[in-house]
Amino acid sequence: MNELQRKKFFLTVGLISLLCTLTVAAGEPFRPMEGEFPSLEQAHSYRGELVFVDHANRRGSIRIDGGGRFRFTIPSPFAMLPYGIVRYRGAPADLRDIPLGTLLYVKAFLPPDPHVSSVPVLPVDNRLKKLGYAGTGVAPAENHVLLLEDDLSHNLRLGLKWELTEINVTAKGSTLTATRRTVNGSDAVDGSETFSFDAATRIWRGRELLELTDMIRNQTWPASGQKVLDRQEVHLGISWKPTPGAIFTRFHIVDIWLDGISLTRATRRQSEKHKDFIHGRWMPAKVDAVEYGKFGNAKVTATLFGGMDESLYADFKNGSGAMMAASENTLKHWASGTAGTAQMASKGVLTMVQRKKDNTSIGSSGIQVTLETDLVTEGFRPGRIVRIRPNNWPLVEVPRDEYLHDGRNTINDRFPTPDIFPKYR
Amino acid sequence: MNGTTNFLTAVLLLLPSISFADEPFRPVPGVFAPMEKAHTYRGELVFVDHANRRGSIRVEGSGMFFRNSPHPFAMLPYGMIRRHGAPSDLRDIPLGTVMHVKAFLPPDPRTSPVPVLAVDNKSKDANHNRGTGIFPAENHLLLLEDEPSYCLRSGLVWNLKSLEIEGSQGKITGVRSAKQQMPSSTPEETMTFDAATRIWRGRELLSVAELVDEGTWPSSGKHRLELRVLIGISWKPTPNGIFTRFHISDIWLDGIAIRRATKSQTAIHKEFIRSRWMPAWIDKVEYGKFGTATVTATLFGGMDASLYADFKKGASARMNSVTDTLKHNHGAYGPSHMACRGPILDVRKVTGAVPLGSSGIQIQLKTDLITEGVRPGRIVRIWPGNWPTPNLPREEYIKKGLLERYPTPEIFPQFE
Repeated sequence: MNELQRKKFFLTVGLISLLCTLTVAAGEPFRPMEGEFPSLEQAHSYRGELVFVDHANRRGSIRIDGGGRFRFTIPSPFAMLPYGIVRYRGAPADLRDIPLGTLLYVKAFLPPDPHVSSVPVLPVDNRLKKLGYAGTGVAPAENHVLLLEDDLSHNLRLGLKWELTEINVTAKGSTLTATRRTVNGSDAVDGSETFSFDAATRIWRGRELLELTDMIRNQTWPASGQKVLDRQEVHLGISWKPTPGAIFTRFHIVDIWLDGISLTRATRRQSEKHKDFIHGRWMPAKVDAVEYGKFGNAKVTATLFGGMDESLYADFKNGSGAMMAASENTLKHWASGTAGTAQMASKGVLTMVQRKKDNTSIGSSGIQVTLETDLVTEGFRPGRIVRIRPNNWPLVEVPRDEYLHDGRNTINDRFPTPDIFPKYR
Repeated sequence: MNGTTNFLTAVLLLLPSISFADEPFRPVPGVFAPMEKAHTYRGELVFVDHANRRGSIRVEGSGMFFRNSPHPFAMLPYGMIRRHGAPSDLRDIPLGTVMHVKAFLPPDPRTSPVPVLAVDNKSKDANHNRGTGIFPAENHLLLLEDEPSYCLRSGLVWNLKSLEIEGSQGKITGVRSAKQQMPSSTPEETMTFDAATRIWRGRELLSVAELVDEGTWPSSGKHRLELRVLIGISWKPTPNGIFTRFHISDIWLDGIAIRRATKSQTAIHKEFIRSRWMPAWIDKVEYGKFGTATVTATLFGGMDASLYADFKKGASARMNSVTDTLKHNHGAYGPSHMACRGPILDVRKVTGAVPLGSSGIQIQLKTDLITEGVRPGRIVRIWPGNWPTPNLPREEYIKKGLLERYPTPEIFPQFE
């Protein structure tokens, strides 16, 4: 082996090693760095039923589908990352908007800092463990969530749709069989899936809400027995409830959107709700830099979090007035007692609003703003979380469970122990 | 003079009874608590632990609503939840909904799954401008109902009188009044609405913008309204320094719309009870030989009538012990596997007035293998023979120990 051959050999081995590393890395547990937005591709993916919600602390529990007997699975606690996004009905949402029982798709990471995790910190290889009949991966250590979305939002994001292939109506329980396909292609994404549905399933057509009996009356669906549905294109809202007949995991259809009008209306309504919510709670952001001036003056540069309605970002305008207040990782306001966030916030002018071109994470909006204030307050430090209010948003007082109380709150209030979750082991 | 004297005498005679009705009342285990003795309040549902039939509510007091910490509550075993005029489970109620409450002191403070408070708490001023009555000791609920359920039960409608609108949001002022055009005894209330408010007409779901587009509502300004409707109420922070103003989440414009909403919620709850079984308590156990027994139980109230109709004489039923939170007590085997089985010997309707919480229906079940937990005064769930038999999710059954049955109040975030 001459010098050139040796170099080629080591280069080849190096490349193979690098490829192996990358392959392993893509499947490896990933811990986001403080102050950085991780990419969606590095996240661990799973889905499950929303069982418990502590919306004020942006956390909850989810029963994860591990390929076993779904009902045996203990709800697994999760926490939203500060820049984590919740989506419901194809629009931005808060945890409080999602009905318990809804099937959600999750993209999650290890806790960025286990010391301040607001949910239990688990062994990093937990997702590989089989937990009895519940199956494998039902309690992953990746419980800090970047993206939490319902089936409709999941399909809209990925350009997917459902096609109904068969309906079976019986007195003991009715089912619909569907296949998920790409919107512009004919390839099935997964195999066909059979769901239960019942008299409470909501069927949306245009601006109408139909019931199962309406579908039977207009002879679209049979009153009993099977019918082939000729690949009818729909979108579904999916939940879970116990299934009879010794079936271990079968999901349930709560909503069917029959057409684009009904879907657009559902998305618009949720979008309006969330816009109003952000108006009241202010836009969350991460501090990138602080330039201190004299006598309390400072220029604070921050990146607005992603996933909001575009009209909210449009309210951040160069030269307009704004307020900025320190916030927790849970996005709770630090209101300094009952004085209120507005009273305690730094006030000033937005001297810079720019959109970054190289935004690679959905957690970031890619929009950076600079607020020049004559009285910077504690909590505005690089990497820390703030909330910002352009002055044209309404001024409201957030409820008691959504702010921290100066002097009365301790670290335990900020991050209640996992004891908040019932123990079922 | 005589008239005045008689009036004053009547008032004086009435005062003690009003005062007595407002006294803290502790239900006796094994007896359905009378609703007349319940403490009444309303507030926003903030937190739900549906598996343990409890949660937190931000109670409306005399002060600044946003400052009130959510107040923990637990449903009594026979406590009822109603949404859209139909029976429901706690998991069905969206967070933020304003609920009407009828509640008592904990029947047994030692086993309360929520904090036990001083009995006179409801008359205490909570300070910090929060007002009085925001954390009553009466935190064990007989009835928890949303606005349309409250109005339907009380024979009331909302008489909407004025509208102030700009774009898709604004304020509506109205008053609850009897369906017959009677003058109202309650004060007028002004509430907000916005672009997300759902307006139900027949089987249509409309938005404010659509009512404006079709000319039903004006696009801006202050206007007189003459609408007799049912509304859903929630709460969200109100701008302009207003401390307590509720929000209209839904408007049902006609009878068809509300009937369809009621029907949908009824279907959800029927399916729920068919899989979790009918809750009841044991009135009597007559023990036979070698494990046989005849058990008499009263079915709890507030369910759809079709569920009670499934309890028929001669049907082969199953009965399983549950906790006061109505959780099954059987481990992972499933209630069907662990329950007492046997024929229903008798189904009878109790004569006389039936208290809220009771169905007034008593059944007698004969079993050849009585199990622990089926004792007078204790709670069971019963399967009447023709319901499906799915297995329950992990958080809805008990596997280990008393602490699992009653987790400490630490489950609730501390905000004080």
